[in-house]
Amino acid sequence: MDGILSNQIRTLRFHHGEMSQSELGQRIGVTRQTIAAIEAGKYSPSLEAAFRIAEVFGVSLSDVFQWERAGSGAG
Amino acid sequence: MFGILHVMLVLLDIESMWFYIAIHLKGGIVMPYREKIAWLSLIAMGVTFVPYFAIVASGRFADNPLPNLPLMACFAATTITQMIILGVGHLYLRSASPEDARTPPDERDRAITQRAMTTAYYALMAGVILVGCIMPFKQVGWSIVNAAILSIVLAEIIHYSVVVVSYRRQV
Repeated sequence: MDGILSNQIRTLRFHHGEMSQSELGQRIGVTRQTIAAIEAGKYSPSLEAAFRIAEVFGVSLSDVFQWERAGSGAG
Repeated sequence: MFGILHVMLVLLDIESMWFYIAIHLKGGIVMPYREKIAWLSLIAMGVTFVPYFAIVASGRFADNPLPNLPLMACFAATTITQMIILGVGHLYLRSASPEDARTPPDERDRAITQRAMTTAYYALMAGVILVGCIMPFKQVGWSIVNAAILSIVLAEIIHYSVVVVSYRRQV
């Protein structure tokens, strides 16, 4: 089943005092480049990393990541 | 004579490769530490094994009364040069960014490594089949040895290339 995994990490970082990618990476145990890749939608994190990101921002997983089925918005 | 030729070819390659590295490492492009290591390994292999296989392909040692000796010396020089480049490169990269060097690989680093190793494995298997199952019917001696070395080098080049491409494409 094809789909797109989008995320709100950039927005959430902004709302948390413009938290840097490096800081977020340090807090969840990944590199800055990995955060950049996740944010750009190029890399899908593990479930554990996803939960850690949500925990850092104090929100639920669905507030950080959204799954949209391919073609679901077409009509 | 061949040793001097080999050293000259290596130096020529180092110069052109260094120009490329200087652009990427000093030009302000932030590159993950593990990508730098992959570039270093690719360059070390390029500047050593390209001249080695060029010399082997030229067939300079074919009419030598002791062909094993110069070929073994050439291979030894190649591997020692590669080790020196890797050693110096690792020390330089480690001193340039000690924090990055200490950071253990994260899940994406591990995923990239796994992808690269899987791809390289198939390349190595193809090389092993060629060298071990097909070549013995047609070739002998150093041809088979060099083909085996080539298949290992190609598998390594594919491995590090996949690492570099994965980091470049952020996947």
